[in-house]
Amino acid sequence: MKKQINITLNGRRMRLEVPAHRLLLDLLRDEIALTGTKEGCGTGDCGACTVLLNGKPVNSCLILSGELHGADIVTIEGLKIGPEFHPVQKAFIQDGGAQCGYCTPGMLMMSKALLDENLNPTEEDIRFALSGNLCRCTGYAKIIQAVQDAAAELRARNV
Amino acid sequence: MSELTVVGKPVTRVDVDAKVTGEAIYGYDLVLPNMLYGKAVFSTRPHAKIKRINTEKARSYPGIVAVITGEDAPWTHGESIKDKPFLARGKVRYIGEPVAAVAAVDEDTAQAAAALIEVEYADLPSYFSPVEACAPGAIPIHEDFASYRKAEFIVGGSMPNVCEHFKLRTGDVERGFKDADLILEERYTVPTIQHAAMEPHSAHAQVDPVTGRLTLWVANDAPFRALHEIAEALGLPNEKIRLINPLQGGGFGSKGGLKVETVAMALAYHTQGRPVRVKFNRQETFISTLVRHECTVYIKSGVKKDGTLVAREMVLYWGGGAYAEKSPTVCIRGSLPAPGPYRIPHVKVDGYAVYTNKPVSGAFRGYGIPQGAWACEQHMDELALRLGMDPRDLRLKNIFVDGDLSYWGEQLHSVGLKETLVKATEAIDWDKPRPEGIGRGFACISKPTRTPTTSSAAVYVDAKGEVTVLAGTVEIGQGCSTILSQVAAEELKVPIQQVRMHPLDTDVIPFDASTTSSRSTYHMGNAVRLSAIQAREQLAEIASPMLEARKEDLDFKNGRVFLKDHPQMALSLGEVIKRKFGPEGVVRADASYCYEIGKDLDLETGHSDHASAFYMYATQAAEVKVDTETGKIKLLRMSAAHDVGKAINPLNCAAQIEGGLAMGIGSALHEELVVDDQGKVRNPSFLDYHLVTSLDLPQMIPIIVECSEPEGPYGAKGLGEPGLAPTPAAIGNAVANAIGFRIYDLPLTPERVYWAIKKKGKEAA
Repeated sequence: MKKQINITLNGRRMRLEVPAHRLLLDLLRDEIALTGTKEGCGTGDCGACTVLLNGKPVNSCLILSGELHGADIVTIEGLKIGPEFHPVQKAFIQDGGAQCGYCTPGMLMMSKALLDENLNPTEEDIRFALSGNLCRCTGYAKIIQAVQDAAAELRARNV
Repeated sequence: MSELTVVGKPVTRVDVDAKVTGEAIYGYDLVLPNMLYGKAVFSTRPHAKIKRINTEKARSYPGIVAVITGEDAPWTHGESIKDKPFLARGKVRYIGEPVAAVAAVDEDTAQAAAALIEVEYADLPSYFSPVEACAPGAIPIHEDFASYRKAEFIVGGSMPNVCEHFKLRTGDVERGFKDADLILEERYTVPTIQHAAMEPHSAHAQVDPVTGRLTLWVANDAPFRALHEIAEALGLPNEKIRLINPLQGGGFGSKGGLKVETVAMALAYHTQGRPVRVKFNRQETFISTLVRHECTVYIKSGVKKDGTLVAREMVLYWGGGAYAEKSPTVCIRGSLPAPGPYRIPHVKVDGYAVYTNKPVSGAFRGYGIPQGAWACEQHMDELALRLGMDPRDLRLKNIFVDGDLSYWGEQLHSVGLKETLVKATEAIDWDKPRPEGIGRGFACISKPTRTPTTSSAAVYVDAKGEVTVLAGTVEIGQGCSTILSQVAAEELKVPIQQVRMHPLDTDVIPFDASTTSSRSTYHMGNAVRLSAIQAREQLAEIASPMLEARKEDLDFKNGRVFLKDHPQMALSLGEVIKRKFGPEGVVRADASYCYEIGKDLDLETGHSDHASAFYMYATQAAEVKVDTETGKIKLLRMSAAHDVGKAINPLNCAAQIEGGLAMGIGSALHEELVVDDQGKVRNPSFLDYHLVTSLDLPQMIPIIVECSEPEGPYGAKGLGEPGLAPTPAAIGNAVANAIGFRIYDLPLTPERVYWAIKKKGKEAA
């Protein structure tokens, strides 16, 4: 069954006709060809496919397209601010927060979601926020450092 | 040598921008024009004859282009033993083995049609433990083992289901045990675990209908080795095959060999030239790619009262799973140094790689070292305890130092082990009193690299002054593209931003043995360095008349060549090339590197005077607290000191150490791929297979030790694999230190620790 939906994706409004059972992850990757959102498990256990749905982080592998009418979605492709890297992207680059990079888009979206709510996260806050995003390469230390640095940068910008 | 400008600096990764924007295209992301979607049907029996496969319903399903079984893909492959069919033929040997496959116009259709294929089986007895599978009277999992094509070093068939028997014989262990004051005999086990790279496995394949040429797009960690294995299997000349490597989302050894690749290739021969993509989902990746060898280790040592090691005997049973894959070489390279980095006059080791009816074991970061270390390093602590010695003093008395003749007959040099031991233990305050309820422990390892192997590279400089590096090392996430860019930038004295890595395509890129065994920085680093030096020589030659100076009077810096005595007399590299060859001109140089080939491994004694181009040394130390009510181990801090020879990029070295340590912690505390008594994997998901999360890790203290390796580029060795090798043993020793007795089996789950404490309590009462 196909369904018409209007969504805002990375700030752009779109009208789509999609099978209602199509997962948001597959909609993004297969139909809109935005492959920055990664598939790690397809069962909501790894966080690689994290996107922001109406400002909240979700596993896009657990969201049906049929539910998306009127939704505002931000993916990794929408994280840059114009030509500029978002501070969290910049910090991941500087601190060595990415290795193979496959979990990175999900990590970044989850980190952005945290920093949107809390500009003063403690290390514990960050560890907790990222605990649903699996990384097999880094041991998380440099990712956590990067989120701390991004928070400091955002705080500095705010004053 | 002039001062280093970029080597040794914490340069940020050259590949990271595309990774933080989502622009990086991985194998799993790749879409090809006119592509079909493949899906495999997997065996549901651990060991059975295939009686019948009914594909009729699938064939008539709308949108299906091809339906194939093993009979449609009559090829057999294997790295050192040709034992594995592309799709099962005649029988299945594990649950998860591909038995049939379909290609369809879309993913949904492929999945629906695959579900319509019916397979009838006649069950055979199965074996889920390597010790049982090689017991007298066990029936063979591979009836035709004797007639398989094999590499010359294969010594199999001595016992049922043994595909490799490695022997090390040094001195006379029986005499050694007689001379010893204390003898200790123990048994340790390590379970199956999985790599669980975040990117699942996939492969795209196409057979050109005109030329018959086969192209594979696959994130394989050894494209040239894979190409060779495919060529042998298909009976094609190498030039009829091309591998293109998209970016790889982690591997840790799992992305070598041929798994999903065989399904994609088999289908591609039945799609009339259309490319076909086969993606394994996470569950399929768990059951049908590769796992790490489970291992049962028997260890017996004789030691003098003063702690001098006299004799050590070990038997290791490596669970190979249903096909040999890399089991023979894991068995050899894991068993050989299993007695540990110590001077021992009398050593006897027998390693057996054994077929079982479980998922196929393959390369896994560490290549057999973690299993041996889990046994050997805890055994060392037990010896120390019985001798009344500090475990560190026992190590210091026996560890390898420069000039030692190892028990496998090789004179050792550049041994940074002692420094790693001292630094790792100091970092957790080894000498300070231990608070109540806290345990401390450490473990040492040495790791060889695959030897001899070849890396070739090419470097070209264009008229814009940009440098392109052609190297077959695969960027798995380990950072090779940054390291190799640093090497090229260093030798050509250009800013690293002017260096670009060429995408990996076997049609264009020179040969490289593999991105495995922590061999790339050393081997490919040397090949790139030699290529860049030659390119620089050519540039000096060309620039010399332009600058009206002798070659010897020229120097290079910041992308320019200039007169040493008159630095203002300078030309950019691009300008030099443009003047000589025009704006499209290039200067190109190639080089190969192969470590000097020594005597072959002696199959009777296991001895070799050049077993490894270099050795990596490491010590890790742990401080733990054990909750005796729940059995839960709390890691307080862990240090990891690694001798890397020379840190070409200290930031990347720390990243590798932390990542390895985290993986080691997972394997120590909770990772196990559970296979039940019916051969079925019980936890093929991230919900049930527990990877470490951001909440599970202690403070990690990476320590870089630089004991220069003369043959390595700038003194570098390797680093990727040792990061997880000593971790479980270090934690095991700390736990034993905390609770007063030892646990011999991994992982150290709260449940296992809880019951061990209970049992100990009962014994005491």
